[in-house]
Amino acid sequence: MSEIRQLVEDIAKALVDIPEQVSVREVEGEQVTVLELRVAPTDLGKVIGKQGRTARSVRTLLGAAGMKLHRRFTLEILE
Amino acid sequence: MASNRKYKVESIGPRIGVFLDNVLKLARLRLSFEVVPGEVPHPEIEDPEVVVRFSGVDVELLLENKAELLLALEHLTMEMLRMPSEDHSLLCFDADDYRMLRIEELRLAAMTAAEKAIRTRAPFRFNPMTSRERRIIHLALRGQSAVRSESIGVVPHRQVVIVPAGMPTPAVESPAASSFSQRGRRR
Repeated sequence: MSEIRQLVEDIAKALVDIPEQVSVREVEGEQVTVLELRVAPTDLGKVIGKQGRTARSVRTLLGAAGMKLHRRFTLEILE
Repeated sequence: MASNRKYKVESIGPRIGVFLDNVLKLARLRLSFEVVPGEVPHPEIEDPEVVVRFSGVDVELLLENKAELLLALEHLTMEMLRMPSEDHSLLCFDADDYRMLRIEELRLAAMTAAEKAIRTRAPFRFNPMTSRERRIIHLALRGQSAVRSESIGVVPHRQVVIVPAGMPTPAVESPAASSFSQRGRRR
């Protein structure tokens, strides 16, 4: 598993009530790597946060990690 | 004082340590941190019980764009700890005294804006800020009678306006216009 996929998975598992239902799929594009995050329906609010702040925080972190790895990462939270 | 703290370094420190160690390693951020009891430069404004202080070569990256990454790590850590929002001022992430200096900067900005609103008899509008920063402005102007401060608009464009006493609160700027300027600032 790539470090970035592990990063998203570990953060999501720390935030939700049902960590067993967290899964992350990595889809590599030419420019961008998309990280598709799935969580239990009851945990969606936990990973999105009020006004989307939690999802935004994860994206900020992915931006910083992307600078280190010279790659762009996009987080998609799938419902 | 120390005895009635809700959050203690001994209880939440190890959990913060495990979480951040892993996150920093996987994101390849070259940062170290210490979890220490809060100090109180402005207890009337912010009185954190626990402070997480970062150092290392990536501190600059942490503080870029109004400390966006520092605040993102702080937010994720608070969510990981399941801290209710009313407790959020009890935990503070900092690097190079950014937070303390920012409080000072916001207090000065609040005073200057209040003077300007009184002098020009017109409302003064701040740029959008986080709730924690808006709170600092409101607290800084708490004792003023010639002006009042209010928050208007919707997050993430919610902003503080300083209004001369007796004057109505100005309308929110059109969201289309403000989201456009937001986009313009992004790289």
